Order: sequence, then C-alpha cells, then structure tokens
Amino acid sequence: MAEVIEVPAVDDTQAALAAVLALRRLANQLESAAVVHAIGAGWTWADVGQTLGISAQAAHKKFAPLLPEPSPRSRTRSRKEKQ
Amino acid sequence: MSFRDKAADVRTVNALLTGAEQEALAAGDDLPGVEHLVLAALGLPDGTAADVLVGFGVSDASLRAALARVHADALVSVGVDGSVREPDVAAGRRVGPRGFRATATADQAFRAATALKQSSGADRLLGAHVVAAACEQERGTFPRVLQALGVDRAALRAACEEKLARQARG
Repeated sequence: MAEVIEVPAVDDTQAALAAVLALRRLANQLESAAVVHAIGAGWTWADVGQTLGISAQAAHKKFAPLLPEPSPRSRTRSRKEKQ
Repeated sequence: MSFRDKAADVRTVNALLTGAEQEALAAGDDLPGVEHLVLAALGLPDGTAADVLVGFGVSDASLRAALARVHADALVSVGVDGSVREPDVAAGRRVGPRGFRATATADQAFRAATALKQSSGADRLLGAHVVAAACEQERGTFPRVLQALGVDRAALRAACEEKLARQARG
C-alpha cells in the first residue's frame, strides 16, 4: 500500500505559513520549467492548457514571457506553417 | 516639480515596477512581493538603496542568498530538501505586456514609498524610499530575510530616513 502523505502538524504558525509560500514558489518553478520544456518539445498551448486545467489563452498569457525570444528564422518558419 | 523631474520620476517608477515583476517572474512567484521591490530598488541608478544596505553589510548578492536560504529553510521545516536552485534573473526573461500587478503587501509598500517621497519633498522616488517603506512590513518574507541577515528593521528604516534627509539637503 502506498505511503500516506500527511499534512505536517502546525507547531509554529509563522514557520508553517513561510513553508506554504516556499512550497508555492517551488511548485511554480516546477510548473514553469515543465511548460518551457513542453513547448520546446513541440507541445501546443492547447496541450499545456488542457494538462494544467486552464485555457490555451491563459497558458500562453502566463508562460509565454518565460520562453526565450524566438529567433527571426523560427518566426518566419511558424508563419509559413500557419499558411 | 519640473517637467524634467516628472519624466525622471516616471522612468524610476517604471524601472522599479518592471524590475520587481521581472524578479518575481524569474523566482517563480506569481506576483511581485516586497522582497522583489527591494531587489529592484537596489538596481535603481540613484544608488541610495544600495548605499543604505551596504552600511548593514548587505549587498545585492547577500540579500539574494538570504532570500534563497529563508525559502530553503521553510521547505526543510516541512520535510522538503532545501537545496532548490535559484533561477537566474538575468537570463533574458521578459515581463509580459500587461499592467503592473503585485501582492497586496508589495502594493502597500509601493504606496508607502510614494507617500514618503511626497512627505520628504523629494523630486523623485529613490531606492531608499522603497527600502524604508519595505521596513514597515512586520511579517512575511522580507522581515524574515532581514532577520536571517541580522539586520534590525527599525534601524534600517532609520538609516534610510537619514540617507533621504542628507539627499534632500544636497
């Protein structure tokens, strides 16, 4: 049987709330890294959005600023692909 | 305030808010917090935030290291390995084309900084206004970072005010 993960007991309120912030930050870092990896591997924003339970537009708005600037060559290529 | 001062003030506010947002984005935080405003204030060309913090033995690098340590220690307290790699802010990440959004505490700190600027009669917002305003936060990440660095919040605030008074006298 899988080990049950229990929510740690709150002995110190300040420390517990600081841990919440740090965990949220860690989750965001993992999310950003995974999305950048997914887009680099050819996933569409619709794929990413569906996986995260948000719309493709919301995924693009949130994560597109994390991507490296597309090179002029890749911009031309993606325009051609759309045509 | 002359048109020139006004334009310089707008540029400073823009650099501060964009910098804070960039710091937050690179760190994986949804919205800029007080600690991101302070990091952005350290990068402002007026140099007043950096001058005050140097007086407490704090540099941009040591502030970032303390911030990472505070988060890592918090993770350890709930059983997560604290050796989290800190993202590189200078890695060319872009801030999206949208209006500035921040946590309620950062928003409050920014308002307090601009109020301090007005009450001190300064021509424009300076980094030390931001650090002084940040010192008003009693709980949260920034006070924990100051504690980790062994910096007294009230003493830092007083040093900022002293620096601003000197600056105003020219």
